[in-house]
Amino acid sequence: MAYISQKRTGLAPFFNPKTIAVIGSLKEGFFGGYVVIKSLLNAGFKGEIFPVNPSYKEICGLAVYPSIKVVPRRIDLVLIITGARSVSGILKECAERGVRAATVVSDGFAERDEEGVKLQREMAEIARQTGIRIIGPNTAGIANPSKGLIPNPYEMGYEKVKAGNIAICAQTGMINPQAFPYGDLHYGVSKICDFGNKCDVDECDVMEYLENDPATKAITLYLESIKDGQRFLKVSKRVTSKKPVLILKSGRTEQGARVSASHTGSLALDDRIFDAACKQSGIIRLESFRELFELPKIFAYQPLPKGNRLGIITFTGAVGVLAIDEGAKYDLTVPLLSPGTRKKLDAIFPGLGKRIVDIGPPMAVVNDYMSIYSEILKTVTVDPCIDSIFNVIWTGPSGEFMEEYLKIYRGLEGIRKPIASWVYGPRVPYINEMTCQLEDLGFPVFPEIEMAIKALGTASQYAKTKGGNR
Amino acid sequence: MKKSATIVQLKKEGRLILTEFESKKFLKQAGIPVIETRLARTPKEAVLFSQKMGFPVALKISSPEITHKTDSGGVRLSLNNMKEVKSAYHEITEGILKQHPNAAIQGVSVQKMAKPGTEVIVGTSKDPQFGPVIMFGLGGIFVEVLKDVSFRIIPLGRKDALEMIEEIKGYPLLQGYRGKEPVDIPALTEIILKISGVMKENPEIKELELNPIMAYKKGALAVDARIILEEKAVLRRAKRCFSDLS
Repeated sequence: MAYISQKRTGLAPFFNPKTIAVIGSLKEGFFGGYVVIKSLLNAGFKGEIFPVNPSYKEICGLAVYPSIKVVPRRIDLVLIITGARSVSGILKECAERGVRAATVVSDGFAERDEEGVKLQREMAEIARQTGIRIIGPNTAGIANPSKGLIPNPYEMGYEKVKAGNIAICAQTGMINPQAFPYGDLHYGVSKICDFGNKCDVDECDVMEYLENDPATKAITLYLESIKDGQRFLKVSKRVTSKKPVLILKSGRTEQGARVSASHTGSLALDDRIFDAACKQSGIIRLESFRELFELPKIFAYQPLPKGNRLGIITFTGAVGVLAIDEGAKYDLTVPLLSPGTRKKLDAIFPGLGKRIVDIGPPMAVVNDYMSIYSEILKTVTVDPCIDSIFNVIWTGPSGEFMEEYLKIYRGLEGIRKPIASWVYGPRVPYINEMTCQLEDLGFPVFPEIEMAIKALGTASQYAKTKGGNR
Repeated sequence: MKKSATIVQLKKEGRLILTEFESKKFLKQAGIPVIETRLARTPKEAVLFSQKMGFPVALKISSPEITHKTDSGGVRLSLNNMKEVKSAYHEITEGILKQHPNAAIQGVSVQKMAKPGTEVIVGTSKDPQFGPVIMFGLGGIFVEVLKDVSFRIIPLGRKDALEMIEEIKGYPLLQGYRGKEPVDIPALTEIILKISGVMKENPEIKELELNPIMAYKKGALAVDARIILEEKAVLRRAKRCFSDLS
């Protein structure tokens, strides 16, 4: 069956609709169709929105229609937010009107009880018979910030999400804008998709869509179950040869797997077997929820490294050693810098280091240290013995060097090597500000030393498997 | 690959478990290096076969009903001459019949004692979501106590096969240590790939285990083997599933 669905309508109408119908609750509050419409308008959605509800005449300045049957335009995407029992009837009406894509936000299906299982099966059957594609049920839906498409059913507290190159998908709404501070973090995404209960569209369908989405440079997924193992292997093998796929899978322990199986209504997945599938298909496995958002940044913002040789610029030896230890896990080596680089560094300040470049000592004695810092950073990044760079930034007690740092990083834009940065200092506001500004420039900053190194390490491993014949 | 006559026969008989002798015969036909094993139906035959193979030999009961051969007293190892083989044949068959009066005894398998090597295991099973999967590990306590095994999903490529060997913690033992010679990794890779092929061609196989395989400096040899077939209902579904994928 999965193979039939592949040949049906693709997912384009979900992510690039010109017309959207919002069917169901329009009551003002923190959740529902009213919030969907408000989110779309706030995010600057350029298409047309048609609210559908028999009890309203107008909402947010838009005319409300009593039924999808009387909406005067062809609809690309519908969002359904009604009671579980009425969803199937509405889906049939939508299919009759030629709608190709439906996001079913409503809950109360397979995750709830036996009746819900039956209702969900009905929906899957409608998808199969009519060809309408369904995301959900029990989903917080999708987003495509580049089109102002943020039909968020929950109040999110901010209006816009930066358009970027990371696609984030999950079997949970924990990745949708109401749950993650995309705005505050200046975090850019190409697409967001909560699969929900996966009655029709599943992880393979979405991976196949993102495979050919030019805006997406890295795909990051949270999964609890997979629908079709053999297809998953086939699809992910193909997609990872084009762009990196990072997966966080829960249910790694026996107890976790049992709980997951009961709340997603799917078969428990043997973690050792899933791990084998990831190795065979070149998927990068993630270990924490934070990594789901952090690690793809290296792929979306930076070029792939040409090898595994890491250069480190730090303020203290300790950070350098921690970085070396962590790097070893991913087969990163910290080589002796080239004779040319060593000579240059010695001329800038004697004893800067032959492997780890420690700028602590000159900083303590040179008054205008920023003037030599720029030279140091450039010298190390262009060293032919180095494939990737871990750079440490100290923001200081009053954020005094921020402008200079940004200027120096702007000067690094032509360098075809990945740079991962870690920002530290005595004040959180400056750390955050520096992080956002650097990421706006396209230089990823990681919240931990270890995560920065893991990002460079996985990039190096991915580059290697991609380069080799798999 | 031609459908195995053994499997066709078994399906006729409604049996799901192949005897060691049948398993080895099947695997040998599939191109997997298996220790020379022959089925003796009389003590005389057993002696004749052992003489041809050369001593020492091992004798094992061959009966569809006896799946735990050692526990039932159906195995005699390191037999050094004709007399030992003859009496071992009698002891095995009489002992089994005492314990399992209705067991159908096909005979006693005779095999040459394998020369000692590094013991490894290759096994397969079926995962409800991914289908057939293959396992590799070092034999003995490594697999039983330390669970030092690696998995891949079938079908797998040469690179996957090599990686699954390198992945186990005991890999350095295969590379040679303390003067011990390294084992023939390409030969093990070949076995893994052939088993992957066997599983792909024969969806009716539910589980398969080569345990142990003796790995040597040059070559490797399966010493014991076990194959279990799918029940018919499962089989039909597997067939559909495989034809969808091809």
